[in-house]
Amino acid sequence: MSERSAVSDPSAVSERPALSPSAFPGMTRGRWALSGLAVLLAAATPLVMTDQYVLGVMITTLILLVLNISWNFVLGVAGVWNFGQLALYALGGYGAGIIMLHSSVSPWLALLAGGLVAMIAAILLSFPTLRLYGIYTSLLTFAFAEVIQYVILNDGSGLTGGSFGLPIVPGLYSSLSLAAAANAYYWTTLAVVVASTLVLAAIGHSRLGIALRGIRDAPAYAAARGVDPLRYRILAFAISGFLAGIAGGLYVSYDQSISPSVMGLTPMSVYVTMLVIGGLSTATGPILGTIVVQIVATLLVTHPSAEFTILGLFLLVVVVFVPDGLAGLIGRYWRRIAAWAAEGEEQRTDVADTAAQTEGSPDQHVA
Amino acid sequence: MTVTDIVGITVSTVILGSIYGLVAIGMTLIYGTLRILDMSQGSMVMVGSFIAWGILVVAGWNPTLAIIAAFIATFILGALTQLVSVQPLMKRRNAIDFEMVTFITTFAVAMVLTNVALELFGPFQRNVTPVISGAISVYHGVDLPYQSLTMALVSIAMMAGLGIFLARTRWGMAIRAVAQDLDAARLMGVPVGKLYPLTMGLASALAGVAGVFLGGLYFAYPQAGDLPLLEALIVVIFGGLGSLPGTVYAAYAIGLIQSIAEVIVGTTWSLPILYGVILLVLIVRPYGLLGKPSEARL
Repeated sequence: MSERSAVSDPSAVSERPALSPSAFPGMTRGRWALSGLAVLLAAATPLVMTDQYVLGVMITTLILLVLNISWNFVLGVAGVWNFGQLALYALGGYGAGIIMLHSSVSPWLALLAGGLVAMIAAILLSFPTLRLYGIYTSLLTFAFAEVIQYVILNDGSGLTGGSFGLPIVPGLYSSLSLAAAANAYYWTTLAVVVASTLVLAAIGHSRLGIALRGIRDAPAYAAARGVDPLRYRILAFAISGFLAGIAGGLYVSYDQSISPSVMGLTPMSVYVTMLVIGGLSTATGPILGTIVVQIVATLLVTHPSAEFTILGLFLLVVVVFVPDGLAGLIGRYWRRIAAWAAEGEEQRTDVADTAAQTEGSPDQHVA
Repeated sequence: MTVTDIVGITVSTVILGSIYGLVAIGMTLIYGTLRILDMSQGSMVMVGSFIAWGILVVAGWNPTLAIIAAFIATFILGALTQLVSVQPLMKRRNAIDFEMVTFITTFAVAMVLTNVALELFGPFQRNVTPVISGAISVYHGVDLPYQSLTMALVSIAMMAGLGIFLARTRWGMAIRAVAQDLDAARLMGVPVGKLYPLTMGLASALAGVAGVFLGGLYFAYPQAGDLPLLEALIVVIFGGLGSLPGTVYAAYAIGLIQSIAEVIVGTTWSLPILYGVILLVLIVRPYGLLGKPSEARL
């Protein structure tokens, strides 16, 4: 988050390169290998891990990751205080779930339709937020979420099932056995997480991402340079909303149900904690934060009040002492180690020090 | 709409507006002075309710004592909240994300307070004895409980007291000076470091006193502050952040909207209707009724 304040000086924006030659600057060959290995390890986990409870927690975590990655894009990269993301998540879930229940089309199409429903709602939501600033945006978007929750709860036609939620939804893998379906869900959600991380990181370094960060850090300056806030914000909301809808669709097919309790202040406070602890507006932040908080939550599952007390204190400490979150903290130590390694290299060979430095100090940040 | 409805709406507007005003005016005071939206104000209401429960029900003491105890306890708690969650961030005051960061830290304080209460008292709703029992009949079918009447009177008295404090006393003028121009106030020798905890303590104390009365109307339980916080948020944003008169007008305006909505469509839909009205107001006036874009107010 300190990144944002660092760029509040308009001249700093213009010093940044307009576009990087690579879609993923800072990703060296070694880092690609490391990330690939991590993904492979994650993909192999269900082959070794047979405990269904742990596997279930992991699938839930992956679904939350999709949601948090989508939220991070609009909250962190675009800097719009959108607290209505859970409503988009729920809309995607209900949209996909209702189609899966009441029609015979492929569940994959239903999942896609859920994403589209959330995307349309997100585009509609983006218009009123354009006139508002900071805290006003958060109230408006939160009000939107509350209204959606009320509509779902008090729906008279019986389509949403009120506070009980949707009845048993067949889901994506209704033909598979329980254990096989769990594995299939695990791999599906993992693939969505990897794909969305890559796509959003690439977007973050594209013209769109730079425009969004420009609007976030120096709105007047960005507008003066010809960046149209309307166009880019609608795009940001659309992308983020679509992904949140997909997360909702994955949730409804894995959980076989969805109820209005997925929204509201309590789940939102947990997800915000995940994003902030991990590091807002970074690519790795949501992943780190979601996993750490999910581990704490799972360990303390029998003691919810202790869980929230610890999360609250954790949040306070991170915001005060580590403003850029775990991703920033790890990044700083990584750079220090890399710089130290580069120094050793310099003493030995005395050549290619610039190469070592550019390779050794990769910036993990999207922003 | 019958005469009974109109009398009922008037009575309920005054009561709702007064209590919304008491919680919201603290948030406005804090926003005007420190530029933060204090999410821990709801927890102060909850703490006030639990103090009322402890003194009135468990100990069986005098209601006046409950009000004084709640005032002092939440004052200290509010000042501590400032020292823990806001003071370390004050050096980042001019950063573009200052509002969001402090929003998150005060939210974290609220999370901790709520769950410590959950740990100490459990999730049960505790009945709090009303400060005063009984009711007077205002009109055929419209009763005004003394509890609500006292609550409205105390709220109005405290809001007036705050106004006099800000207008007349040295500390009050110092708070306004900081709200208007921090650097100039510092140059005039205003002890800003002491002023910030004082402001947040004062605002929290108002919320704590509101909690004593709200506890008597509803219950004392760990989440007792959530709804008052949401309502106060709506009020301050509707009135324009940082504008004290705007907040008072907005409190009564929202009390009126909610009372009318409850009579016409019932309690379930009164909150969504409220949100709808706010949405329209914000689209027409993005800075609320009396708010001004990024300027010192109060």
